[in-house]
Amino acid sequence: MSSIYNFKRIQPVPGATDFLDIVLSRTQRKTPTVVHPGYNIGRIRQFYMRKVKYTQETFDEKLSQILNDFPQLDNVHPFYADLMNVLYDKDHYKLALGQINTAKHLIDSVAKDYTRLLKFGDSLYRCKQLKRAGMGRMATIMRRQKDSLGYLEQVRQHLSRLPSIDPNTRTLIVCGYPNVGKSSFMNKVTRADVDVQPYAFTTKSLFVGHMDYNYLRWQVIDTPGILDHPLEERNTIEMQSITALAHLRACIMFFIDLSEQCGYSIKEQVSLFNSIKPLFTNKPTLLVITKTDACKLEDISPEDRKLVEDVCKDGSVELSQLSTYLDEGVIETRNLACEKLLQQRVAMKLKGQKVHDVLNRVHLSVPAPRDSQDRKPFIPEQIAKRRKYNPDDPDRPRLERDIEMENGGAGVYNVDLKKKYLLKSDEWKYDVIPEIMNGKNVADFVDPDIEEKLAELELEEERLEAEGVYDSPEEELDEEEEKIKSMAREIRRQKQIIAQESRLKKGLNRPVIVGSVKASRQTKDDFASHLEKLGVSSDVADTRAKSITRKRTHSSTRDPAEGMARGTSVAARAVSVVRDRSTMGLSSDKQAKLAAKKKSMSQRKGNLMARAGEADRSIGTKMPKHLFSGKRKMGSTDRR
Amino acid sequence: MPQNEYIEESIKRHGRRMDHDERKRKREAREVHKQAAFAQKVHGLKAKMYNKKRRNEKIQMKKTIKMHDEKDAKQKTTDAVPDGAVPAYLLDREGEQKAKVLSNMIKQKRKEKAGKWSVPLPKVRGIAEDEMFKVVKTGKAKTKSWKRLVTKATFVGEGFTRKPPKYERFIRPMALRYKKANVTHPELKATFQLPIISVKKNPQSPAYTQLGVLTKGTIIEVNVSELGLVTTSGKVVWGKYAQITNNPENDGCINAVLLV
Repeated sequence: MSSIYNFKRIQPVPGATDFLDIVLSRTQRKTPTVVHPGYNIGRIRQFYMRKVKYTQETFDEKLSQILNDFPQLDNVHPFYADLMNVLYDKDHYKLALGQINTAKHLIDSVAKDYTRLLKFGDSLYRCKQLKRAGMGRMATIMRRQKDSLGYLEQVRQHLSRLPSIDPNTRTLIVCGYPNVGKSSFMNKVTRADVDVQPYAFTTKSLFVGHMDYNYLRWQVIDTPGILDHPLEERNTIEMQSITALAHLRACIMFFIDLSEQCGYSIKEQVSLFNSIKPLFTNKPTLLVITKTDACKLEDISPEDRKLVEDVCKDGSVELSQLSTYLDEGVIETRNLACEKLLQQRVAMKLKGQKVHDVLNRVHLSVPAPRDSQDRKPFIPEQIAKRRKYNPDDPDRPRLERDIEMENGGAGVYNVDLKKKYLLKSDEWKYDVIPEIMNGKNVADFVDPDIEEKLAELELEEERLEAEGVYDSPEEELDEEEEKIKSMAREIRRQKQIIAQESRLKKGLNRPVIVGSVKASRQTKDDFASHLEKLGVSSDVADTRAKSITRKRTHSSTRDPAEGMARGTSVAARAVSVVRDRSTMGLSSDKQAKLAAKKKSMSQRKGNLMARAGEADRSIGTKMPKHLFSGKRKMGSTDRR
Repeated sequence: MPQNEYIEESIKRHGRRMDHDERKRKREAREVHKQAAFAQKVHGLKAKMYNKKRRNEKIQMKKTIKMHDEKDAKQKTTDAVPDGAVPAYLLDREGEQKAKVLSNMIKQKRKEKAGKWSVPLPKVRGIAEDEMFKVVKTGKAKTKSWKRLVTKATFVGEGFTRKPPKYERFIRPMALRYKKANVTHPELKATFQLPIISVKKNPQSPAYTQLGVLTKGTIIEVNVSELGLVTTSGKVVWGKYAQITNNPENDGCINAVLLV
């Protein structure tokens, strides 16, 4: 209900030493621990920087958690702000949180400084020293927060035990002098179970209890007793009551003990009421006379009675009597208080802006009458005349329900759902149609036009047949084709034979003659017969045998000039030679000679002066820009 | 819904269990043995930490015991020796007191004579160039190496203006520049954080003095105006020398002793 003001969720605040242990052990656990002086210095620096940063982050996280958890006095309801001021002292509270915040910033700056210093660490030793110094300084800063942390932990514990009062809901506040029976009333009305003792100041702090009235949840707040003295002299216990009275918009029930068993006279009690009256403005107030078993309003002296009645004179305060001992008037008083508060809250809501938000949404439009004629809603005559259904009427329309009842009631009679099917013929109503047939849903195959489509298809088929589309043309095989076919048949047969033979060969389990040996053993006649078998003339074998036995001429040693001397152009020669490129493109040796001469003439000058010529190795650009500029990221030195 | 002091309330209403006190007493009695067992079992860093903690506790304990004892013990009064005629056997007490004064005076004189130029750290460890400087390679092909980066803490005066960065030979990184030092006054036994005015002398080399390098043993001038020191003639002392006593590059701060 009062989820906003639930302070039970604040996490425990560890003490300064515990805080250090938590943070440092976390750094030790969560960061790498192995480093060697042989490592690359960058790696060592990074190792220690990480430690420093991690420690700072942990500190930061923990401290901001504290800062976020604790409520800020400016943001909470003024009731809670004031209550916290009374209980924990606002200045102290703010100071403690402020110090935590400062410590957080200091730790951040220390970590920043030391990570910067670590960048210049040139050895493992130095880096380690810097890390140590940095963490030491963070620890020192934290150790100085010992008192603030201790204070905040106490505040947290106390806050979590505060009753969760919702400042905005319907509330009754019970107040009055000590020992007048406030807590007894509270125990009667709610299940709070507040301690009741026959001495003053039994209740030392606010207690809250809940009850139901008019189907609504109400909270009742029991306050510690207050004495009649100026605000400055009030102690913490009394100030809690005053805070509740001042900031909660609730029904105030001021308890008064006419029997004076509490130890305070009626005069004193009335004067207290008058002195704290400014706190009750705009709040429904009840003057409750308690302990009527001991003394009633009628029993007291006229002067005292006048005092009490004077309080209620202006009409804003109502009087009520109760006795918790006899259980008289308790519920009546409660109801009276609740009613007064409810009325006031409703009045307040109507006065406020919020009600318009709802009223704006509700709109009833009534058209302005055009003329004096009365336009009533139209109801057809048949409808107006229709007899209203009456289950006791014997002539009533028969319902399915009636039929069911006649036939044995629910569970015996099964409602006839097929009765009202809309079909072409009524005979079909009770036909059994399988839903699934051969594993297929019949509905998927139902086509209402199937007959027509079939007829159409058949017609088309007939037409096509008549046109002779399906007549196959007469095929005539001429001689040529016959020949090819028979050849193909032969080839296929031959292929089959070869395949069978090779299959037989593979399965052999004896030494095999190697292909090359076999070839050397074969004679020219074997080759000829083989060729004949394939259908090639056998004289090919003869020419081939001759060409093998003839010795090969050395083409490389052949003089190119000889070729040219034969009178053919170099390019047109059919026999392959290793070509001399110097003569290529030259038609005669005369031309070749001329070319050679020209060449040597052109080289002469360069040779004489030892110049670099075309054939010399040259490197155009020694350092190509694209290979020598920029960072090397990927690729090799010569290809990027 | 428990609210306010609900634990106390519950104890008040229902009491504690019957053997609460006995259990408490036993637990307290057992605590000593538990501690002893832990102290014997623990080893390594935990043992170190535990022993330190235990030692401090013991010191604290002994101090309190002593304080309680002192209440009962007879206290020596300073004026135990009566005025006037004193018997011979009491005379040496007075003499002793005097002797102390004398020795103090002599010590003071000796100190003034000999220690005018003595400093708290008379010797320093030599620092090689390559420890002090890091070579910064420059040039397009990073072939030139005439630039130096100072890797120790430095003091850079307020009015310092950089040379054009291209020609700057010595780079003093911002991260390693310091403006304040934690200076201890040896007689007051108090430490103050004072602004540095200048580097008087770096014992390593005059070049380092020039650069304002702060190493262990360096004499710096600090602004002591906030200490409110006064000269014999009544003028307020403004600057005073101090010697650095730590390795600033290792600690990230400068600790120094005031030279008085």
